[in-house]
Amino acid sequence: MAGQELIRLEKVSKTYLMGEVTVAALQETSVTIYQGELLVILGPSGSGKSTMLNLIGGMDKPTAGKIIYRDRDLSQAHDRELTSYRRQDVGFVFQFYNLIPDLTATENVALAADLVENPLPVAQVMEDVGLGDRKEHFPAQLSGGEQQRVAIARAIVKRPELLLCDEPTGALDYQTGKIVLNFLYQIRRQGESTVIIVTHNTAIARMADRVFRMRSGQISEVVANPNPLSPERIDW
Amino acid sequence: MKTLNRKLLRTIQSTRGQFLALAIIIMLGMLIYIGMSTAYKNLAVSQQTFYTENNFADYNFQVVKAPAAVIKSVENIPGVIRATSRIQQDVSIIKPGNERATGRLTGYSLPLDREVNRLHILTGRMFEQDSSGGKIDVLVDPQYAAANNLQPGDSISIVAAGKTIPLHVVGTATSPEFIYAIRDASSLMPEPDTFAIIMMEQHQVAQILNSQGQINQIVVQLAPGVDEEAVKKDIEKILKPYGLLASYPRKDQLSHAVLQVELDQLQKISHSLPLIFFLIAAAIQFIILSRLIKSQRLQIGVMKALGYDNFRIIALYTGYALCVSLAGAVLGIGMGLLTAAAMTNLYAQFFSLPQNIGGINGQVVVLSVLISLAFGLSSGYLASRSVININPAEAMRSEAPVTGRRIIIENWHWLWQRLDSTWKMSLRSIFRNRTRFAITVLGVMSAVVILVLASFFNDAIDYMMKQNFQEVNRYDYMVRFNHLISQREVLYWSQWDEVTKVEPMLEIPVEIIHKGNTEEDLLVGMNPAGDLKGIFNQKGQPLSIPEDGVLISERTAKKLGVQVGDQVIVKTKLTTGPARTARLKVLGKNDQLLGQGAFVSLKTANQVLGESQVISAVMLKVEPGGGLVLEERFNEMTGVRSVLSRQKEQQNFEELLDSSMAFIWIMMLLGGVLGLVIVYNSSIMTFNERSKELASLRIMGFSQREVSGLLVKETWFQAATGILLGLPAGRAVGAAYVASVSTDFFSFPVIIYPRTYIIASLSAVVFVLIGLWFVTRRVKELDMLEVLKNRD
Repeated sequence: MAGQELIRLEKVSKTYLMGEVTVAALQETSVTIYQGELLVILGPSGSGKSTMLNLIGGMDKPTAGKIIYRDRDLSQAHDRELTSYRRQDVGFVFQFYNLIPDLTATENVALAADLVENPLPVAQVMEDVGLGDRKEHFPAQLSGGEQQRVAIARAIVKRPELLLCDEPTGALDYQTGKIVLNFLYQIRRQGESTVIIVTHNTAIARMADRVFRMRSGQISEVVANPNPLSPERIDW
Repeated sequence: MKTLNRKLLRTIQSTRGQFLALAIIIMLGMLIYIGMSTAYKNLAVSQQTFYTENNFADYNFQVVKAPAAVIKSVENIPGVIRATSRIQQDVSIIKPGNERATGRLTGYSLPLDREVNRLHILTGRMFEQDSSGGKIDVLVDPQYAAANNLQPGDSISIVAAGKTIPLHVVGTATSPEFIYAIRDASSLMPEPDTFAIIMMEQHQVAQILNSQGQINQIVVQLAPGVDEEAVKKDIEKILKPYGLLASYPRKDQLSHAVLQVELDQLQKISHSLPLIFFLIAAAIQFIILSRLIKSQRLQIGVMKALGYDNFRIIALYTGYALCVSLAGAVLGIGMGLLTAAAMTNLYAQFFSLPQNIGGINGQVVVLSVLISLAFGLSSGYLASRSVININPAEAMRSEAPVTGRRIIIENWHWLWQRLDSTWKMSLRSIFRNRTRFAITVLGVMSAVVILVLASFFNDAIDYMMKQNFQEVNRYDYMVRFNHLISQREVLYWSQWDEVTKVEPMLEIPVEIIHKGNTEEDLLVGMNPAGDLKGIFNQKGQPLSIPEDGVLISERTAKKLGVQVGDQVIVKTKLTTGPARTARLKVLGKNDQLLGQGAFVSLKTANQVLGESQVISAVMLKVEPGGGLVLEERFNEMTGVRSVLSRQKEQQNFEELLDSSMAFIWIMMLLGGVLGLVIVYNSSIMTFNERSKELASLRIMGFSQREVSGLLVKETWFQAATGILLGLPAGRAVGAAYVASVSTDFFSFPVIIYPRTYIIASLSAVVFVLIGLWFVTRRVKELDMLEVLKNRD
């Protein structure tokens, strides 16, 4: 299932200064991500998986090392280039949805669609995520699962090359979590985007093409999964 | 960015209270700016047009008496464009009921086309040179006509050269020199009841006054850029043989000076007062937006993660500020234009300017909108600039709790230990938000400054009046005579039952000369033992009239550089007889709020004139109720030029004070609204920011009252600081204002009554209470469950 190389991390480190303590969130990590794969990054909290996702998504810059996206070095990019990268190439899904509370579901999706030349039709995406009848509701009027589906709609409406999901089911119950994962699985099947899911839920790894296991700021293991399962067949 | 615009609208909707409050401040700023600037421009343009159209004099000369032909020599001086000679003299008007008024007869040569200080007819028609039927045509100023209900066709009687002469009123007119018609520099305000400008044909004035072929005034217009001083000296040389009494430039012309002071004041206020409102709106806007951005940190992070750049996000929040400015501008333009029309109208009535001075000034409106937008743009940008520093990855993580740090007050153990925990929470919250604290305090302070200034002018005028009527002028009547008379002629007045005291006075217009400096003044001779007029020094201590020597005013002393002990030369400037000079030793300096005067004993004054026992006026103290009888008696006397009744003067001033009540109310309203908005915004922000904390307290078992108490304490601490600073600041601003508008003619004392401070403080308390009411009622709406559900 390995396509072309999409993004490559070379000895990437990230340290944070928390008060007077320096925390090494990611240490000299080198890894390659391929176009069209569904990648799951597994690890306990504090293992550096969200940090890696943020770096890949151009939300943060590494302290050392290089991040090469299609021959562009993101680690050297200016704020302006990173913004353009996030706008054109990346879609984000967050654990707590992070919808804009004073915009309706449709408007939250339109907020992202406004940014690109050729977005998917907003109404169509709302239908696709099964919210055709709830689209004029404000986030506060939606359930957690519905909010996360809006968040996914907001991420995919831009037709991003990379879809980055940080604990997408972390705040959801079992059933709703499965529905959301199914969306992500379908997106990967349609081959439109490369999907990266960060989670601490090991069961989810079974739907991935590849799995990175992380511990203490480093990738401890890379596992290829030649037969990914549909989320419907996964239990946790 | 349609969706972002929608977000902007929703944000405005959810903060509509604050949005409206801000828009109101902008509106008030616009209203004041448009109202005052338009009135100023209208008045200034009207003034200039009127001056130009009617050849307003650049220089004025007054002589005892000169042949009319002297004008030819004046006209021939290089630099003089036009010169007009005329007769001007004050005469008594006998009103129906024998009451006296003063008429300033002013002669005009027809046709008027090229003359200096031309007339502008307001109603009726021009007077004719030789009117049929032997009637003497005159025009009067509109104020006197209105106050005395005179219509064209009516007649007035004057006493001149010992005869009573009827004059035929043919209309009303004004002239650049009579825009603000007052008797002299010592009258504080117009007396339309008892002072008239009577304009008539020059030959007829000469005939009435028995002075054919003679003039006593020359008014000239000078070429632009000419050396005024040199031309003045040349003209003075020509006029010297005829008893030169005075020469003064346009800036010292009374009507012009008063109008100019008014214009200057208007311009100053129209620039400074709106600025306060714009600055405060910008400051509040800044803290509202800073707070909004802080609370929407996560959303900003998401927008950045989606790919929105800094510019668009800054534009979103700056857009909020611009919307406030626009809303304020829309409201402000309408209200401002109404205010402008009302103010212009008021000024047109106050000054005799041709009525068509109104109008909308497009430039002012556009400028006000630009100012409002500029303030919105800069406060919006300054506040939302912090967006740049928000890193999307960090913004997604919940913000670390504010580090609990010790505040300054905690170092004062004795105080801190006595505070209960709610006070400690409030104080810590205040000191954590220092910018907001500072802006709230400054805002409340500004509001209190405006409240203090509201009554400042009234206090100052009231003080001057009390000082004038109780300490300085203790007489009931001041009777001035047409000519100098012997003191013996009024001796019998003291025999009248109604009169309790008569004190003579000799007033001589003089020049005081010292080391080459000359200053015009009025030499006042009084009985050293008298007590109907008080003289005081700068410290307010009474001075007694010296038998020999002179007391001169601080103002004159300063201008001449005179010290106590110096000798000065006094030169008389009476319109009859030759000028006389005398040397007098300065024995002290007096300080007068109103009018002018150098004081000597009656004996010294007589010596200066080379006379003995002559007087020009008397001051009277009368029995209660005796005034009316006396007034009738004075009206019978042809030798009486004017009768000043203290009671009437006092009434006039009280009316003036009453008429300024509207101003006080408007200022109070402005200050109150400003304060209310500041308090409301500051406490609603505290409420929003701490709503989770407050709801948690409710869950812990705090009552609504106790929770409100936290907000109330925090607000009161800031408001009280603002009020305490605002009271002295109000006085300081008043003093600065007085210093900036003081002229030779008048100056305000910086006096603020305790009552004003109390009223300002109480008003402040009221606006704080109202502001708090809006906020504390929301404590009821605190949703305790929502707090528990939220993730951070």
